[in-house]
Amino acid sequence: MSNFGLLMKGEMLRLIKYKIIQISFVVTILWLLIIFMIGSDQAATFVPIFIFTDAALMTVLLVGASLFYEKQENTLKTLMITPSGLHAIIASKVISAIYLALQSTVIIALFANLLFAVEIRFIALIAFVIVIAFAHTAIGYTFSLFAKDFNELIAQVGAYMIVFAIPTLFYALGVFSEVFETVLMFSPTHAALLMINYTFFSSTRLVLLLIGLAYLIVVPVLLFIYIIIPKYPETAVKD
Amino acid sequence: MEKVFEVKNLQFTYRKNQIKAVNGISFDVYKGEVFGLLGPSGAGKSTTQKILTKLFKDYQGEILYLGKDLKTYNNDYYEDLGVGFELPVHFSKLTGLENMKFFSQLYKNHRDIETLLKAVGLYEDRNRMVSDYSKGMKMRLNFVRAMLNDPKILFLDEVTNGLDPKNARIIKDLIRQFKEAGGTVFLSTHLMNDVEELCDRVAFIRGGEIVEIATPRELKIRFGKRELKVEYFNNGTTSEALFELDGIGENKAFLELINTYEVETMHSGETSLDDIFIKVTGEVGNV
Ligand SMILES: Nc1ncnc2c1ncn2[C@@H]1O[C@H](COP(=O)(O)OP(=O)(O)OP(=O)(O)O)[C@@H](O)[C@H]1O
Ligand SMILES: [Mg+2]
Repeated sequence: MSNFGLLMKGEMLRLIKYKIIQISFVVTILWLLIIFMIGSDQAATFVPIFIFTDAALMTVLLVGASLFYEKQENTLKTLMITPSGLHAIIASKVISAIYLALQSTVIIALFANLLFAVEIRFIALIAFVIVIAFAHTAIGYTFSLFAKDFNELIAQVGAYMIVFAIPTLFYALGVFSEVFETVLMFSPTHAALLMINYTFFSSTRLVLLLIGLAYLIVVPVLLFIYIIIPKYPETAVKD
Repeated sequence: MEKVFEVKNLQFTYRKNQIKAVNGISFDVYKGEVFGLLGPSGAGKSTTQKILTKLFKDYQGEILYLGKDLKTYNNDYYEDLGVGFELPVHFSKLTGLENMKFFSQLYKNHRDIETLLKAVGLYEDRNRMVSDYSKGMKMRLNFVRAMLNDPKILFLDEVTNGLDPKNARIIKDLIRQFKEAGGTVFLSTHLMNDVEELCDRVAFIRGGEIVEIATPRELKIRFGKRELKVEYFNNGTTSEALFELDGIGENKAFLELINTYEVETMHSGETSLDDIFIKVTGEVGNV
């Protein structure tokens, strides 16, 4: 197996041994319970929001917390002195984060579809969740590479959520006109929510969807190239 | 002798606090030797090791590895290296064996993991989670980690840190075996004991600068007091007397003493490396 395959296998082992997969599964079950209690008429409204929360916000937190934990254990450092290469190391971590988001999305979506007949564009949902989780992995890494400690990370993520959630909320309440939504696409959370809504057959302007998609691909790629990859070694190596 | 590393005027500054952690050091490491980097806390030992292991890349000065600029090597460089870190570096929720298997796979060459675990006395505990290991057990696992890929060069940072004398002995014996099999060792430490028992040559580093490079023997001779202490029996008790080593053959008092009394023991005035450490670095070494 290539080193990337081995790193990937190691990441999956880590997700299981550190009970991250299990915890993520329990959170998913909680979402399912809530959907179940809300009942079928409201399910179609809330399922997209739950999937958004899981793929976007949970990913930021999980990736950030994970990086801190691994830094404490010095395992990032010892990986750096293997012949694996920085890109393979980072890629394996990104893919395992995306996997976690997909796991919950698929379970929630199947549940909503089978039990409450919520209609879903499955292929688009999976593709979009991959993009959204990728973008939020980049955001999570960027935050945790700059945070001095775990508390600072939580504060940053909290601030990020509020700053980007407020315009979306105002927009939803009808404070802003529809033209404003184009500007809102520059909020990763708004773009993500719009993309997920689309997969649940809500009326979405296609041009906005494409802007959102492009935005959530370009931004993380830039973050990886200009911030995460250059800064990661320094963080990994620090005692 | 073949040079493994040639370090010329190496400098490194931590960007964050602009501390010049390494300030123009030069030294060579020869193939098959144990080279010690010795100095007080904060002297720049770990920083130097991190530069040589390519963890810090933006240094000034020149480093040649086997005659070629270190910067020209890619990640295959790590196939040659075994790195023992100062602190435990394992997945705490995996067992010792799982950890070693994971890291071992990442290399082309492999040593037998179970043999290594047996050698450091961790075989019985191989299936326990690392979070249940003691500090000393984790440090021994660090050593196994460093040996996994059958390295040509071992970098060891404070390798006996947290080990009891018996386990420290085991690790030191393994280092000696590694050297006898042709391996090169770069050892950073502030423990005199390690240096005295293991090192062929030692560089004293202080405030990011090398103040002395020599063999432990040379140092002892250079810094040793040239005197002789004689302990002898005198009316049923032990007395002692001190003589200058120079011209001792004509020293009347000395000759009379050894002709008159029964000598119990004599010591030449060898200074311990501990004293030398304090003299050279101006600081008290922690033993
Ligand atoms: N990550 C860092 N950021 C900024 N300065 C650092 C960093 N790591 C070390 N330093 C500084 O660089 C200098 C050398 O540190 P280094 O860790 O190399 O010392 P050392 O000789 O290994 O000490 P010890 O015996 O305590 O391990 C010290 O002044 C230290 O404060
Ligand atoms: Mg150190």
